[in-house]
Amino acid sequence: MTRYLLRRLAQAAFVVAGVVVLTFVVMRLVPGDPAVTYAGPRASAAELARTRAELGLDDTLPVQLWDYLTSLVRGDWGISLHTRQDVLGDISTAFPASLELVGTGVIIAVLVGIPLGVLAARFRGKPADGSIRITSMAGVSVPVFLLALFAQNVFATKLGWLPVAGEYDPRLDGTSPLHLYTNITAVDALITGNWPILGSTLAHLVLPAAAIAAYPTGVVAQMTRAALIEESTQNHARLERALGFTRWQVLTRFSLRPALSPVLALLALVFAFSLVNAFLVEAIFNWPGLGRYAADSIRSSDAPAIAGVTIAIAFTYVIVNLLVDLAQAAIDPRVRIR
Amino acid sequence: MTWRIRSLALAAAVAVTVTGCSGGAVRKTASTSSAFVYSFNLNVVTDWDPATSYSNEIIAMQNVYESLTRYNTESKKVEPRLATKWASSDGGKKWTFTLREGVKFHTGTALTSSVAKAAIERTMKMKGGAAYIWEPVKTIETPDPQTLVFELKYAAPLDLVSSSGYASYIYDTKAPGGGDLKDYVAKGHDTGSGPYTVASWNKGQEAEVRLGQFKDYWGGWKGSHYTSVEFRNTPQVTTAWQQLQAGDVSYVHRLNPQLFAQAKGMKSLKTASVPSFQNLMAFFNTEAGPLKDVKLRKAVQAAIDYNGLVSTLKGSGTAASGVVPTGLTGATPGLAGRQDTAAATRLLNEAGYGPGKKSLTLDLTYAQGDDDQQKFVTLLSSALKGLNVKLQAKPMQWDAQWDRAKSKDAAKRQDVFVMYWYPDYPDAYSWFLNLFRSADPVNFNLTYLDDSAVDGEIDKLPELTATNRSAAEASYASLQRKLLVDQAVAAPLFVQQYQRAYSADVDGYTDDPAYPNVVFAHELSPAA
Repeated sequence: MTRYLLRRLAQAAFVVAGVVVLTFVVMRLVPGDPAVTYAGPRASAAELARTRAELGLDDTLPVQLWDYLTSLVRGDWGISLHTRQDVLGDISTAFPASLELVGTGVIIAVLVGIPLGVLAARFRGKPADGSIRITSMAGVSVPVFLLALFAQNVFATKLGWLPVAGEYDPRLDGTSPLHLYTNITAVDALITGNWPILGSTLAHLVLPAAAIAAYPTGVVAQMTRAALIEESTQNHARLERALGFTRWQVLTRFSLRPALSPVLALLALVFAFSLVNAFLVEAIFNWPGLGRYAADSIRSSDAPAIAGVTIAIAFTYVIVNLLVDLAQAAIDPRVRIR
Repeated sequence: MTWRIRSLALAAAVAVTVTGCSGGAVRKTASTSSAFVYSFNLNVVTDWDPATSYSNEIIAMQNVYESLTRYNTESKKVEPRLATKWASSDGGKKWTFTLREGVKFHTGTALTSSVAKAAIERTMKMKGGAAYIWEPVKTIETPDPQTLVFELKYAAPLDLVSSSGYASYIYDTKAPGGGDLKDYVAKGHDTGSGPYTVASWNKGQEAEVRLGQFKDYWGGWKGSHYTSVEFRNTPQVTTAWQQLQAGDVSYVHRLNPQLFAQAKGMKSLKTASVPSFQNLMAFFNTEAGPLKDVKLRKAVQAAIDYNGLVSTLKGSGTAASGVVPTGLTGATPGLAGRQDTAAATRLLNEAGYGPGKKSLTLDLTYAQGDDDQQKFVTLLSSALKGLNVKLQAKPMQWDAQWDRAKSKDAAKRQDVFVMYWYPDYPDAYSWFLNLFRSADPVNFNLTYLDDSAVDGEIDKLPELTATNRSAAEASYASLQRKLLVDQAVAAPLFVQQYQRAYSADVDGYTDDPAYPNVVFAHELSPAA
């Protein structure tokens, strides 16, 4: 297992390094002068020259790349041309909010999608199966922004059941200041016992997390159903039935565990897709995450910030994949020798 | 089992690493129930330094810091702020300002001429943002604690300069505790004298900035006032609109025409539609390429469907009459563009192009993602197509667009450059100095005009404005006719219209385009 872990870590490092180099080269090849963005559109020629020197833009491309790589390793991801703050600092503020949103969406997907898939497999060909398949198909097909706009308009603005936007009611900062430890508001509120902010955050999470969850829930439900049906055709399932176990027992006791292996692999892909989906949902619900930061960065041609976001997403994707591979290896030892 | 435990431990370690432990910092106080909540579509703060701030934070800083004077666009007059009176002498080369008594900064320091002088000199020395507005100043004297005397290198309208939205702030240059002022303000503190003081700054959060009441404000707090102001960062206009309807915010600075029309019909909301000082213009390359020929420039000018463009903007833009927007010295009626296809055809034919003759191709660059510029390009492209002229329009990011325009090889530059302009202080000179005066290397003069007679007339404008405003008006009008009619170096397309929506509970709101998107919150009262 150690050899498997080392191999996967080496692969992950290679992927991250590739993304870093590629991102840097693309950002430098895009037409335009980053110094203009930093110094402002009305900067004088002298100010622009000073900015170029300050940002190291007068160096050759290989020198700039080397500086960038060594700085990244030191934890210096550059200065955002837009916010003028440390990019890593900006990302470490925004990323936990995205993780909170996407994490909640994926947890919903697992908690709802897997039982739905099991139910669909158990009642295969019956109306319950049909309903679940249609619902999950809708979850996969409807664009997330449409779902988010619909949910916001109906459940927040028209019915007034839930908040329109934001992470929590900012007025609570005055009455129940939140101590930040992980930068994930719900987690910090929970571990510090800040119930007003926890309640408000959960209320604010419902609509955006539900919108994010639609796609992964549909995918997980369909995948679970297909994997369980596949498992139920295996010899062990026939033996278990012959031994007197009910169809439900065979599904949940014996078939579910091996069936979850491909579902777990899928979750890594789904997580990455949801992270990108979250960009749209964050914009609609004004969630202070990476999506909003990325949108601002793209709008202002903020190369260091765009590169930072890209690297952060690639890094997350690689880590999630790694974790899923490890979890798969733990569930199914055959994976380790692949 | 061991493996599962290891996996879980690894997952937990990664989660903690990627989320970053912040060591128990407290998120700062946000809104209170008596807050005026301003919804803005971008990050509010880029630079908190009153000397160098040159961006969106003007909406907060104009409530925190004050300048000597303030320009009232409606009356077209400069009004008192930290100075109660001022006068010019020596042909506009000497200006004397009398400071208001009883003014305190948020640091506790009292306003004196020495403090004001130190602030202006620091701003000038830092040379950032719009500090160039003080360029005419030779010396600043402080004959007594309430008097500031400026000696200028050349005559200039210092009353307008001191009313600038940027770089004109008077602030305490000494940070409490004796530290560096730049570091002090960078942490979200301030040293202003305005009615509000920075109470919290949560970078990247929805409730980004909160201003609290400065109880010792010279303007006082008698009557009904908002005691705090909160700036919410909401990039999506549809989300801001829903928050306004839900009562979560008091004011949305920018709506699209469709939402603005809806807002006008709602009893719970008030609206304001005000022409700004920001106009969109097309600049023609007079130095190289086909538009070097004045006939072709006039043909393109005549092909533009000005009225059609304003009509497609559905209220978010108004017709431009010349380069200078209404409300500023130099605004000249009778210079509005008019589409004249017959004249365009005739001019093209005279130059050997147009219907039945050689086809012509023109390169145009404009800002990527700007819907209004896109509308202009679509209309112009369609009009020119009917005249046997192909328009190759390229949407570009600003830095790339500007880079190409400043290419050392003149042949690589565009034929038509589209961009907005607005002044840093309420004066038309900014358009002429930056956009039409010759410069080497090229900066913002994207007509590439190099006309010493025009340069000479432009150079006289500040002195005229300072000494004889009616003569300045005449000079501005004459220059605009020369540039737009005789030489056809540019085409003003429209003036942006601010479309605001705010809660019906807010009383006393007025919009002054000299301070773009600023709400002077102390002047508002929450309805009883």
